[in-house]
Amino acid sequence: MKVAIFPPNSMILADMIVRGGHEPLVVQSEMKQKVTSPEIDAPPFNMTEEDPIAGLKYAAIEVPSGVRGRMSLFGPIIEEAEAAIIMNEAPFGFGCVGCARSSELTVFSLRRRNIPILELDYPTSRDATVEMVYKINTFLDELNEKEAKSDD
Amino acid sequence: MLKNDKDIDTEFCHIPMGDGTYHDSNQKGKITRMIILGPGCAVSSKELLNFLHLLELPINIRLTCYGANLNGTPEHVMEAVQKARAIDPSHIFIKFRGFPPGDPRRCRAKRGGAREGFHQIEAEYKLLQDVSYALEHPKHIDITVPEKISVDEFIEVVNSVDAETNKK
Repeated sequence: MKVAIFPPNSMILADMIVRGGHEPLVVQSEMKQKVTSPEIDAPPFNMTEEDPIAGLKYAAIEVPSGVRGRMSLFGPIIEEAEAAIIMNEAPFGFGCVGCARSSELTVFSLRRRNIPILELDYPTSRDATVEMVYKINTFLDELNEKEAKSDD
Repeated sequence: MLKNDKDIDTEFCHIPMGDGTYHDSNQKGKITRMIILGPGCAVSSKELLNFLHLLELPINIRLTCYGANLNGTPEHVMEAVQKARAIDPSHIFIKFRGFPPGDPRRCRAKRGGAREGFHQIEAEYKLLQDVSYALEHPKHIDITVPEKISVDEFIEVVNSVDAETNKK
């Protein structure tokens, strides 16, 4: 199952999903398409005119182009997601920073997809971290069960 | 003659490093994974590097302070990743990476200062010790979100509490 994560560049969430036998949808994979294609050679100025146009699917034309550009990156992740793990209340500097509105719009779009979603709060103590891992593993095991049922 | 004037990087390594040129054709069909050693890991990055070299797979391996970066075809990289993770499954973590290792557009040797993604690794590293503990002691817990009670039930509770306080 393809599982979207938020923050979309989180190592812990992506690693847990791989351990659980699923495929994480991470922003790095989207970036790879961008930075190894011949038309872009100067990140961070790594947008083509197609990107804001692709972002129009999620945000209107009067929305800043930065939001639309970011949504063109997050868009495929939202489209492909069959489940999602969202970490809320992460401290500033954790995950994709630069545009809080894009992050809100991504989370909002994932919630609207009507897929199984596990919402977590960023852990602030040892016990909370351990519990977070248990929750993720339980959620992924339940996804496995759902997948097995749908195959039958 | 400057180091960058030599073709040493392209001669021995498919990824040009620090000379400002970059050929994306080298990266066609290749992936990059970062191996990150958590606190309390059974191996050091040097030992991990030796282990990866001894696998004799056709991949680029770059030693880093937190572990190693691997770049190559998906089958070889994933084989190396799985074998590396097997050394200490609960303390070795894998991260995806978009840029190939040594890419002059991101490599700190060229840019100066840490890569943006390094700060994310730093932030997550603080949690890894507890994550490793949880992986060593797996447990299933209830993740069902508690449902909200109905308005009628809420009114009943309020009335019963009111009745008790009035008695006092």
